[in-house]
Amino acid sequence: MLGAFDYVRAHSVDGACDLLAEAGGDASILAGGTDLLVEIRNGLRSPKLLLDVKSIDELARFEVDGPEVIIGAAVPLNVLVEHRAIRTSLPALADAAFSVGTYQIRNRATLTGNVCNASPAADTAPVLLCLDAHVSVVSPSGRRAISIGELFTGVKRTCLTPDEIVTDIRIHAPTGGTRTAFLKQQRIRGHDLAVVNVAGSYAPDTEMLKVAVGSCAPTPVLLEPIDVSGNSLESIGNRVITLAEAATSPISDVRASAAYRRAVLPVLLRRLLDRLLDGRGGL
Amino acid sequence: MASELRYVGKPASRDDAIDKVTGAARYTHDLTVPGMLHAALVTSPHAFARIVRVDTSAADALPGVRAILTGNGLCYRLGLYLQDKCILARGVVRYQGEPVVAVAADTLDIAREACRLVEVEYEPLDPVLDPRDALEKGAPLVHPDLHTYAHMEGVYFPESGTNIAHHQKVRKGDVDAAFASADVTLTAKFYNPPVQHVPMETHAAIAQALPGGRAEIWTSSQSPYTVRHLMSVCFDVPHANIRVHVPYVGGGFGGKAGLHLEPLAYVLSKAAAGRPVKVVATREEEFNTLPSRQGLHSTVEIGADRDGTIVSLKATYVWDAGAYADYGVNVGRAAAYSGAGPYVVPNCWIDSYVVYTNKIFGTAYRGFGHLEVLWGIERAIDMMTRKLDMDPVEFRRANLLREGETTITGEPFTAGHGSPVECLDAVARAIDWGTPSQPPPEPHKVRGKGIAMLHKAPAMPTYTSCAVVIKLDEDGAADLLVSGVDYGQGTYTVLRQIAAEELKIPIEKVHVTWECDTAFSPYDWQTVASRFAYMGGNAIIEAAADCLRQIRDVAARALDVAPNEIVCDDGAAFVKGQPDRRIAYAQLALGYTFENGNSIGGPVIGHGRYIATGLTHLDPKTGQGLPAQYWTYGAHGVEVEVDTQTGEIEILDIATALDAGKVLNPKLCVGQIVGGVVQGLGSALWEGFQFDENGRFLNPAFVDYKIPTAKDLPKRSQQILLENPQPGGPYGARGIAEHPMISVPSAVGNALFDAVGIEFTTLPLSYERILLRIREESEGA
Amino acid sequence: MHKIALTVNGQTERATVPASMTLLELLREPLHLTGTKEGCGIGECGACTVLLDGVPVTACLVLAVEADGCEVRTIEGEAGNGELSALQKAFIDAGAVQCGFCTPGMVMSARALLERNPNPSDDEIVEAVAGNLCRCTGYEAILQAVRLAAGRLQAKDEAADLLNARGTGTESVGGGKPDGK
Repeated sequence: MLGAFDYVRAHSVDGACDLLAEAGGDASILAGGTDLLVEIRNGLRSPKLLLDVKSIDELARFEVDGPEVIIGAAVPLNVLVEHRAIRTSLPALADAAFSVGTYQIRNRATLTGNVCNASPAADTAPVLLCLDAHVSVVSPSGRRAISIGELFTGVKRTCLTPDEIVTDIRIHAPTGGTRTAFLKQQRIRGHDLAVVNVAGSYAPDTEMLKVAVGSCAPTPVLLEPIDVSGNSLESIGNRVITLAEAATSPISDVRASAAYRRAVLPVLLRRLLDRLLDGRGGL
Repeated sequence: MASELRYVGKPASRDDAIDKVTGAARYTHDLTVPGMLHAALVTSPHAFARIVRVDTSAADALPGVRAILTGNGLCYRLGLYLQDKCILARGVVRYQGEPVVAVAADTLDIAREACRLVEVEYEPLDPVLDPRDALEKGAPLVHPDLHTYAHMEGVYFPESGTNIAHHQKVRKGDVDAAFASADVTLTAKFYNPPVQHVPMETHAAIAQALPGGRAEIWTSSQSPYTVRHLMSVCFDVPHANIRVHVPYVGGGFGGKAGLHLEPLAYVLSKAAAGRPVKVVATREEEFNTLPSRQGLHSTVEIGADRDGTIVSLKATYVWDAGAYADYGVNVGRAAAYSGAGPYVVPNCWIDSYVVYTNKIFGTAYRGFGHLEVLWGIERAIDMMTRKLDMDPVEFRRANLLREGETTITGEPFTAGHGSPVECLDAVARAIDWGTPSQPPPEPHKVRGKGIAMLHKAPAMPTYTSCAVVIKLDEDGAADLLVSGVDYGQGTYTVLRQIAAEELKIPIEKVHVTWECDTAFSPYDWQTVASRFAYMGGNAIIEAAADCLRQIRDVAARALDVAPNEIVCDDGAAFVKGQPDRRIAYAQLALGYTFENGNSIGGPVIGHGRYIATGLTHLDPKTGQGLPAQYWTYGAHGVEVEVDTQTGEIEILDIATALDAGKVLNPKLCVGQIVGGVVQGLGSALWEGFQFDENGRFLNPAFVDYKIPTAKDLPKRSQQILLENPQPGGPYGARGIAEHPMISVPSAVGNALFDAVGIEFTTLPLSYERILLRIREESEGA
Repeated sequence: MHKIALTVNGQTERATVPASMTLLELLREPLHLTGTKEGCGIGECGACTVLLDGVPVTACLVLAVEADGCEVRTIEGEAGNGELSALQKAFIDAGAVQCGFCTPGMVMSARALLERNPNPSDDEIVEAVAGNLCRCTGYEAILQAVRLAAGRLQAKDEAADLLNARGTGTESVGGGKPDGK
């Protein structure tokens, strides 16, 4: 057994809110469980109740055709990875989701889970930051949307309160021509956590470039947007690197040294820009 | 016999595969025994500490707890070669992860909960974490009572008052004079971190203490008889009192040789009124509590003449044994006699020190020190070629052992040793040595090629032996009883092939009883050292001859001819030249009955054995002697591609050549090479234990200890098997099980030099290490 | 405690389980299906791979209660009517089995692959089993086994299609009447 907890399945959002409220802060939400169950096993978390939200219809929403891409909190990552529309219009999201873990893990793990776990190395966070995604949240006080930039407050910490449930993540449907890209430095080709990960989006119509960096600060970091009009690829790269280095503070840990992270970050950023601005990748 | 072999040399399929692909194969992890309890461990958080106080009262009170043990009540000493270890820490803990308290309970959950309730108070001491520090005068002593430990006298020499568990020497010729007169000399230092075997099945054992000082054990082990022997010595009971079963084993790689969880399971059972107790290592315990491959610091000095002849070699090997000597002292011994590589070295001086530190201890690991030693030797050889401006293949070819030469321990090299030169040439051809790599399309990538030699002999006692029994079934089929263990390498299939060939029956009629049971399976030393196919194969040949002798004797009487007129073939005995006068084995297997009812003969049971021949102890002062039953030589050729901006390295091609003597089963040989090469790449590129400044293990899980996955394979892997026969080997075969991984890191390191012009001396060759060195070099330039 | 009912290899199983029991523990202990192995307990090694409603998951990270109402397939269900499946035969023939501890998980990952993609590319095969660690084989023979099984199943389907075509009287494909005329 993994620990000493009880389990309940919610069948509606309101039902889930009630159960959370009853648990008074001692419950954890269970979607894929691929982070939560490991933390419980390793003694890092000990909730008294696991609230399974996979049976709530609303959390199974997955809509790609409307003005917003809506990814329900219970949608497994493989659905994103394999969906043709996501692969073509938001390839960075598909790539990031793909890199989160093995095929088996991706059949359980969710985008919402990856985000709410709030690891500084969360693979899907940088691209969601670039896309200005919003997290839809329900609580007894009602519904609200939190921009992903406000969500992360520290290492494995979000601004969510214990009575809140995420129902979905929403991304504005990309305007024609928007390109996205994601790159991740690992220690091995097999499944691995990121040593550094970066994502970017580029809208050719506005010539606005957004870049976000992960694994180099307590939270994933969105750099200030850049208007690339009239600038060479090299000077854009210089600017992005300067911004990135100012906004991040890589540490040395069991995975990599700060020196390696600092060395690889500019390399990934230049390669990211090659993909976004040089006619490769994206649309 | 020159005629075509029917089974030996063919790619026969394993007959255990059907159990494994259906889930029917049961490993120790899967076994339950009636009344079985489950165990959990409290392990030390400190690398070195006095145990001040242990309070198990809260744990004791938990319902379902049947036994709690601490080191206090367990004054037994264990050790294969040097008895330095207790079952649970007594008085002092010597590595972070060392078991301190063990609990047996009705369920694993209760046992774990009980462990959480145990309180242990420690007084941390200053650990010694680097074996080089441990050699310094005044270093903390990991074993202050070293002088009181029993050990294998005449073979191992622990030095009391120090952290030296053993010191092996080779002294040949006059190195000082040779270095002084050499045209070119080179000194370089190298490091291998400790790594883990990572068998997919972690260590597991079930033991039941039976009345009268007996025990029955089921264990995931490579050596049932060693388990029996060491238990017998430890608990001072006759060998016959200990019965060991080994079911299917989910990988060993050396880590499951010797004695590990069995004594603990046994004493827990004794404390639990004889209920069987199962101890299964979690994956974290497999990394942090069960033993590793020793780390190694090497210093290698080579002297050569301008014409490319090696005149002298001096090596100092400082092995990081960790907290206990286990197999480490034998690794240190083998490293000395193998420690100059497969070369002619007229003047040689080797010191191999096995040094205690306060870290997880080392044990046998595939290659038994040879990967670690050849990392230094083959890299140093390559560095010497830079100094001499000679081609690395040419330099090696000029210096490799050949007929007429002598090894560094005074062993004459003969044609029967096989051909290192042919192995070298084979891999050089295979990777098109001499032709530079095609330039990669991306400008920030570079490619390079490298070569490395390998050699190894079984590092085993001079009296190592093996016995097998073949018994015939009513239908003339044969059952092989062996207690070597097939933990994936496929030796049982090879033994079936040999038995079928020798008995002249179809291989489908030859079975190996899969589970070893020391009550029924005859003695085998241990399944390590790439010796089981060799020694077991020879024993099977003898046992088959014994069966045929019995068959011929009875058939002769039945057919009224002399025994030497009987020929055996196709599962029958018949009169030479008169094939119609025949009796099928099935009619002889349990004796023969005449028409009138008279019966002669009896059940046909053949036995065979093999003992190591001609081995001698090594002279403690000079290391001279004959340690090797047979050497297996080989080489790797590697082509790599490096991303100079991220340090990512990819293996484009890796060719492995081994002189197998005789390829008993090509499918299994290739399987060993493909698997061993990938395991070697693990050591080369990704694997290594990390510790913090207090000696705490930082990466005891797959999250941060990475082993190769299906995505990490070389683009091309070539396997070249040479067959220069080994005199005394079954059909001329030598062992090849460990060899495929031995020089993989060396060859990759050599290829890296060709690619990026940097001499790497520390493993693993991680992307980080490669990139930061590239940056360092280009900033320095 | 929770009462659950699920289908395991086509059979309905009922159990009363604590919330914190994993699907892996449920399979190995009360259901005695020890073919599915524990290699790490944290979803990193794939040794515990089973099919949950047709998709491969690591059973160590699924709670038994989460599997209530689901269909689970394990290695014990791979052979049908006592006959080895094409995958199992291919693993044996390709030499893809050494110690065998990773084999059940590998077969289940491969089974799921061939069900969703009967004609996978080499890259797709690698991706399907990349979450299953093996320390013995170096993976080549395992990848070959999956290719072999896929090829044999394709050939069998084509042969079955041919037979069907002849049976319904449509134009036979390739070479004449059975009697050779």
